[in-house]
Amino acid sequence: MAGNKAGKRPKLTREGFGGQVAYFFNRAIANIRQNILINLLTIGTISLAILIFSLLLLLYVNLEKVTDKWSERVQVTAYFEGELPPRELKVLIGRIQSLEGTGKITYISKSEALKRFRERLRGQDALLEEVSADILPASLEIQLKKEFRGDDALSYYTAALRRVPGISEIQYGEDWVQRFNSFMDFMRLLGLFVGGFLVLAVVFIVANTIKITIYSRKDELELLGLVGATRLFIKIPFLIEGILQGAAGAILAIALLFGLYYGFIHNAGSLTNFNPLENGIVFLPLTYMAYVFIGGILLGFLGSLASLKKFINV
Amino acid sequence: MIELHNVSLSYQRDAAALSNINLKIEKGEFVFLTGVSGAGKSTLLKLLYGGLNPSRGQVLIDGQNITRLSSSQIPFVRRKVGVVFQDFKLLPGRTVLENVALTLEVLGWGKRDIGKKVYHILKQMGLEHKINTTPLRLSGGEQQRVALARALVNDPKIVLADEPTGNLDENSKESVLNILKEANIKGSTVVIASHDKRLTENSHRRMIVLDKGRIVEDSNGRK
Repeated sequence: MAGNKAGKRPKLTREGFGGQVAYFFNRAIANIRQNILINLLTIGTISLAILIFSLLLLLYVNLEKVTDKWSERVQVTAYFEGELPPRELKVLIGRIQSLEGTGKITYISKSEALKRFRERLRGQDALLEEVSADILPASLEIQLKKEFRGDDALSYYTAALRRVPGISEIQYGEDWVQRFNSFMDFMRLLGLFVGGFLVLAVVFIVANTIKITIYSRKDELELLGLVGATRLFIKIPFLIEGILQGAAGAILAIALLFGLYYGFIHNAGSLTNFNPLENGIVFLPLTYMAYVFIGGILLGFLGSLASLKKFINV
Repeated sequence: MIELHNVSLSYQRDAAALSNINLKIEKGEFVFLTGVSGAGKSTLLKLLYGGLNPSRGQVLIDGQNITRLSSSQIPFVRRKVGVVFQDFKLLPGRTVLENVALTLEVLGWGKRDIGKKVYHILKQMGLEHKINTTPLRLSGGEQQRVALARALVNDPKIVLADEPTGNLDENSKESVLNILKEANIKGSTVVIASHDKRLTENSHRRMIVLDKGRIVEDSNGRK
């Protein structure tokens, strides 16, 4: 009897995990080949969506670099009476150095202060006639570590600095720091908002593109179920396809982004007064590229998973 | 092999597609399911491979009550049942070989064994020279034979065929029927849904007549 021939059936040649992975991978590749046009369209759409997001990321990376440089200007100047002998100065610097958040300390002697003053008022010699080094205080210019440049951390730091014996006055351009930090907060919020919106848009576009791809093959999904395929058997090749589409889309997006970056750094100088290389404009660091790549893979995988749920009724 | 107890099914309220069906088909039988269009033939076949669930009653396939199985268990019942669909359901992007191989891939057969088995069944059906052709390049009769090959390639315990000779010329009809008879001789229980009177009347096989979702006649064909 035909139905009783199960015992005579050939031995499975794709037994074991490795064999099954190879089967599903080959099936996914074959599916891509058989539906090459729709797969290319899907990869193209995914890469464009990721490209838009990566452009924002590139902008963010460079803006972060610029603002990092700006924030180095957030520094505290500590004044003290008279000119301290070198030993006392060394002790004072040691005390300040031991405060949490202290970065580089530069000593500005009375004569150095006068030199700077003269430079600032260059061309107005009449004003400087009566000024001697004695009337200007010596000071210490303290640069702060990155995490101590915010409003709250700065208040905490200056309070601690005031308690250091020997310091008569401190200045840190409170208004400027507050304005700068408000601007940075606004930029971060804007970045978060635009970035969040773009992430949602990318997820929406990718998920729907994959859904259309899978919808175009709903007959295949139905038939697989009818010939006795389990849900997992039907899903795995489609999920691998999604992963491959996401990975290819991400690689293409990074390549396109590099093309745009390359074009920009080589042409912006001749078209405008802005020289990107001199201003330290950089491409995405390797870590960010890895994030984009992993993001693409995740998008492809999750997009396929969500779409398959709607079409598999086995 | 197949048992239906008090099976009813309604697609809409107050409109029963099947009403109180009681039926038993023994192992190795060859049965025609006939009736006019809309009598419930296709619906009844769908119940037999778990394509539909009855609103009431029980469906037993090879001793298993499939109405009580979870959706994850249904595929294992379907592996015992070869189905020939009215619209063939061949995948247009895949070759004849790949279409037929699908049934064996699902069962976990190896590539080499699949190749041998598919070639063998296609040769039986006179289609071995079309092995790398896509279905759209085949005639209606050839497509039907590919669909038959896909249903029969794993020697299923049960073969269900929904209007397998519809839209075919006389020669193709004969050929399709012979293939199904051969499967029956080899041991498969065969159920054919057809409204083609000429096909069913001369067969001298058990005939179940449906009308408005009810069995109105069940004759063994040996008049």
